[in-house]
Amino acid sequence: MGYILIVDDDEDFALAAARVLREGGHEVQLVLDTDSAVRSMEQRRPQLAILDVMFPESSSAGFELARTMRHHKENLRGIPILFLTAVNQRFPLGFSSRDIDDTWLPADDFLEKPVSLELLRSKVEKLLGGRAAVSKEVTS
Amino acid sequence: MNVAGVYELPLTAPCPSSGSRATPAAGGLPEDMLVTNVLWLCRLRWIVVGALVLFGALGLSPTWLPGMGVLPHPDWPFAVAVALALANAAFLAHARRLRGLGACPWARANLLAQMVVDLLLLTAVVHFVGSLETYIAFAYLFHIVLACIFFTRPLSLAVTAIACFLYLACVAIEEARLVPRGGIYTDMTLRDHVAGSPGVRLVNTGWALLTWFVVWYLVSYLSATVRARDAELADSNRRLLSAQEERCGHMLRTTHELKAPFSAIDASVQVLLRGLAGPLSSDAQEILTRVSTRSRRLAAEIQEMLQLANLQSTVQNPPRREQIDLADMLRSCVAQMRPLAEERGIRIEEQIEPACVRGVEEYLRMLLANLLANAVAYSHRGGDVRVACSQKRADGPVVTIEDNGIGIPAGKLPHIFDEYYRTSEAAQHNRESTGLGLAIVRHVAQAHGIRVRVSSAPNAGTTFTLTFPEDPNFAITCKEKGLGLHTDC
Repeated sequence: MGYILIVDDDEDFALAAARVLREGGHEVQLVLDTDSAVRSMEQRRPQLAILDVMFPESSSAGFELARTMRHHKENLRGIPILFLTAVNQRFPLGFSSRDIDDTWLPADDFLEKPVSLELLRSKVEKLLGGRAAVSKEVTS
Repeated sequence: MNVAGVYELPLTAPCPSSGSRATPAAGGLPEDMLVTNVLWLCRLRWIVVGALVLFGALGLSPTWLPGMGVLPHPDWPFAVAVALALANAAFLAHARRLRGLGACPWARANLLAQMVVDLLLLTAVVHFVGSLETYIAFAYLFHIVLACIFFTRPLSLAVTAIACFLYLACVAIEEARLVPRGGIYTDMTLRDHVAGSPGVRLVNTGWALLTWFVVWYLVSYLSATVRARDAELADSNRRLLSAQEERCGHMLRTTHELKAPFSAIDASVQVLLRGLAGPLSSDAQEILTRVSTRSRRLAAEIQEMLQLANLQSTVQNPPRREQIDLADMLRSCVAQMRPLAEERGIRIEEQIEPACVRGVEEYLRMLLANLLANAVAYSHRGGDVRVACSQKRADGPVVTIEDNGIGIPAGKLPHIFDEYYRTSEAAQHNRESTGLGLAIVRHVAQAHGIRVRVSSAPNAGTTFTLTFPEDPNFAITCKEKGLGLHTDC
């Protein structure tokens, strides 16, 4: 069980995803823009951040948020990132190779919309489980 | 009776690049074309050198040329040939360096220098052969015509003026007896007649010069007209390509935007079907299942539209081609398709030998995945799909995907690669197809130079044979990668 932050401007999708994750026993917080996401994460650090890529404010705001988390915010650096986006992983249309190299790669996993919510749930379990296992090893 | 049909997808030439071709400089040929012409002219000049050497060699015989009424001149043909050969070697060396540089203004300078040297040496030949009593002076026309084709009108006029000046200088020097009058005819009658008749000399010289200027005017005018038309067409082509890019880019954005709301619908339906919003009646569940099925079909269609738009678009930089283990990719595609095939009771047999190709991995994966999906989708329950891959010693790899399913009528084979085309038999057998899969196959195959051959017969099955282009480097890389390709690489 963990605290998960979903950052997605599509509220309908985010609500559906949140329902399924909550059913799995997780605590889920929804945020609809990337600025609020940073504030939210600084107030309470999530164990997993699920990020969309394209937002009304910028078509690569999700990449920028990932970059901020990885490179510019010390307190957000270790949060696992799962991209959940309509952008195709192999052909991220409209994005430069710099976008992909600098910001895509830091993600821990990727899912392309439309997605099976069961698959989303299993990915989340895996990411949270992996992180928990690492923490356990460190503490022991 | 079911007639079997065979169809081979035409390997059309790639679309003209929208990249900037060197533009014609004020009406002349583009720089990159000039480089090609520099080399061509140099090669052509070796023939002239050979002809001069041959003429000189004939002059060594005391009987051959005099027998034909021509005086033997053993010296000047060799001298001119040597001068021409040395100049040509220099021009050729310079041209080869230019080829490596691509389009550059030095190609024009090289050509102009070639013209001037040619005209100087030609004037020497004109003097030795006979400036007025032979037709040799018309050889200047070759350079005037070439200048009209290569250069702008003013520059070609300059070349014509140089030719006129050199010819007039030759005639004037001979007239002034500064050099002994040349000539190759043994019979002196004609030469003496010309030498003794100022009117004949004037008419011959004037007629030659008039002819050159008329030829210059006609050829340069026509050449400029053709070049203007060519530039107009090139411009139209650029605008068309730009419009196509914009259209494809718009389609990419539209299809991408479509995925987002669809994803929300699909996710919400999944939530309802899981009972997370309360229990559902069996009727409601059935209706939602139908919504879900249609949604997934729409998802597949959006994804394929996106893939197709991506293939057609040149908005992005073309993806980098890399060495690909084709056998491995084919096995992976088969593994992905196997669960669906098993669900439908269809067996997939593999006979995959090591093979390597160069291409865009994701595109080739799309091609193979689409053909495999079709083989499974259009097979009957309990049918067989056979997948084979082989690479013979000197050829490119060959992949065959064969099924014994519903088949395709021979008359419909030429249309199966069209976007959204579906045979009535296919639509009846599999309602979920989008009609875009084989259009994707066509785009990928044509972009990679892969020959696609389809043989099919209704109710007997279909075989797609993909022949990849041959390239010895592929095999070498396979060996380097330890893929165990049994060739001489």
